Amino acid sequence: MQETRDALILRLENAARQVRRDVWRALRAGGSGHAGGSSSAADILAALYFHRMQVRPTEPAWSDRDRFVLSKGHANAALGAVLAQAGFIDDAMLDRFYGFESPFAMHPDMKLPGVEMNTGALGHGLAIAMGMALGARIRGQDFHTFVMVGDGELHEGSNWEAAMAASHQRLGNLTLIVDSNRIAQSGPLPELVNVEPLADKWRAFGWAVREIDGHDMGAIVDALAALPLEADRPSAIIAHTVKGKGVSFAEDTYLWHSNNVDDAILARALAELEAP
Amino acid sequence: MSTTPADWREKSANQTRLAFGQALLELGEIDIDTVVVSADTQDLLGIRPYIARFPKRFLEMGIAEQNAIGVASGLATTGLHPFVCAYAPFITARSMEQVRNDLAYARQRVVIGAAASGVSLGVAGGTHHAVEDLALMRSLPNMTVIVPADAESAYRATLATRDIDGPVYLRLGGRVEEPPVAESSVPFVPGRARTLRTGNDLAIIACGALVHMALVAADTLASEGVHARVIDMHTIKPLDRDAILSAAAETGGIVTAEEHHLTGGLGGAVAELLALEHPTHMRMVGLPDVFATVGPTPRVRAKYGMSVEGILSACRELLGARR
Repeated sequence: MQETRDALILRLENAARQVRRDVWRALRAGGSGHAGGSSSAADILAALYFHRMQVRPTEPAWSDRDRFVLSKGHANAALGAVLAQAGFIDDAMLDRFYGFESPFAMHPDMKLPGVEMNTGALGHGLAIAMGMALGARIRGQDFHTFVMVGDGELHEGSNWEAAMAASHQRLGNLTLIVDSNRIAQSGPLPELVNVEPLADKWRAFGWAVREIDGHDMGAIVDALAALPLEADRPSAIIAHTVKGKGVSFAEDTYLWHSNNVDDAILARALAELEAP
Repeated sequence: MSTTPADWREKSANQTRLAFGQALLELGEIDIDTVVVSADTQDLLGIRPYIARFPKRFLEMGIAEQNAIGVASGLATTGLHPFVCAYAPFITARSMEQVRNDLAYARQRVVIGAAASGVSLGVAGGTHHAVEDLALMRSLPNMTVIVPADAESAYRATLATRDIDGPVYLRLGGRVEEPPVAESSVPFVPGRARTLRTGNDLAIIACGALVHMALVAADTLASEGVHARVIDMHTIKPLDRDAILSAAAETGGIVTAEEHHLTGGLGGAVAELLALEHPTHMRMVGLPDVFATVGPTPRVRAKYGMSVEGILSACRELLGARR
């Protein structure tokens, strides 16, 4: 039976809540971590992995799989949570975050099944994703490549090299998602180096752009269903998000870009992430 | 319109950078996974014939070296075998983080054809010299580093990259002719040094353009009754340890010669090995700790001792010190 839109959205919202809970669990296991950027990305990651992307958790190297590159690699706790929930990795791996010789580190590592590229040094993922999309074209494959960057990450100039080349190549099989939570490690972006107007920048570089509320699951699902936003153009979804989304004390503050997590903080976070 | 052996030798014009482009033409024919990525280097690497023959397996990325490396990494994840055509000074120093993370750490099968290395762009000045690239590339796990001495070596090295599991830095020259250092019948195998002259009085271990100079120097020494072994150490990483340790044991004196800073390149690699396993008298020919001056390549090389005379002085000094 076809899943109704309401049922789909409810399922994905529940999945995203579980992702956030698992993020805090992983951070507690590691003793610290990037709560802010992991939580802002959670809804989009859930929609990608539990709805939009064609992947095979038991066959992670399946050659026709859709690709996802987490360029803002400091959100790896969220990626790990998604990979566990999808069945790429054992759920117990979440308790090995930061562990000695663990494949589940602060930043994505290809040693973890389902991770497409070692990332976290910012400004790398878009070029790599473009290479994947070009590889699909050259090899005649239909998979779609997604890449998520942070808005602060867009300070890195290499992104704009890739932005220029991807539109030149008319890569309709490439989608960029900007997790725009407006805060970097040292503070709000307007106080560091302003990145706005973001949508205008991507349009000027030749991309098709849609701005959404990155926590509105209906809007996320609709945007992903509309890809490519224009034929023969790469798509940029600018997702306006809240850093630390879902846990009041972590929301919208650079203090929770990365911070320590003890048992008491974990309990407070999980209490706020109870199912309604 | 496949190329014939005679064709590629003639078209390479004794330049390693052009031999690379000719080898790509052959690779395009024999391996459907070959894809060539340019950073506005279509003439530098002589790839226009490849582009004309395989337009769908060619990508121009413009003057954006970081992007070229990232794209090549992504291409490699799909099973393609990318060859990045670039300027040595820019693709190494500027893109170092992409090379480190996206290629070496991720162990992607990507070949960097890095032309205009050393001081081959002598007149272009210090911004365009690549005299630290071997140090950078050699410091990366999973990386293979090859410095062909002539067009024949460059052609064969390029073909041989098909069998290398991981990224390859192929250091190529500029527009100064690189004369043949060996008959084409002498085998070229990555990782296996070639002894081009036998001798037990001392050994000159050289790479790139300095191999030919080492051979000329060895001839001069031979006329004086000194028999110098000349080793073409075309692969800097992984280093042919046996060839170096044998040379040290059998000759008792090593001169290294390269178009690179004295720190971190071939000389450094040989010294690291010998210091630990077989301490041996050494002299090193290369660029001292300065930015090189501007000028025609042979004169710039000679100013810092990267010449036949410079190699001879190092050899004589070493022989004198051991007496």
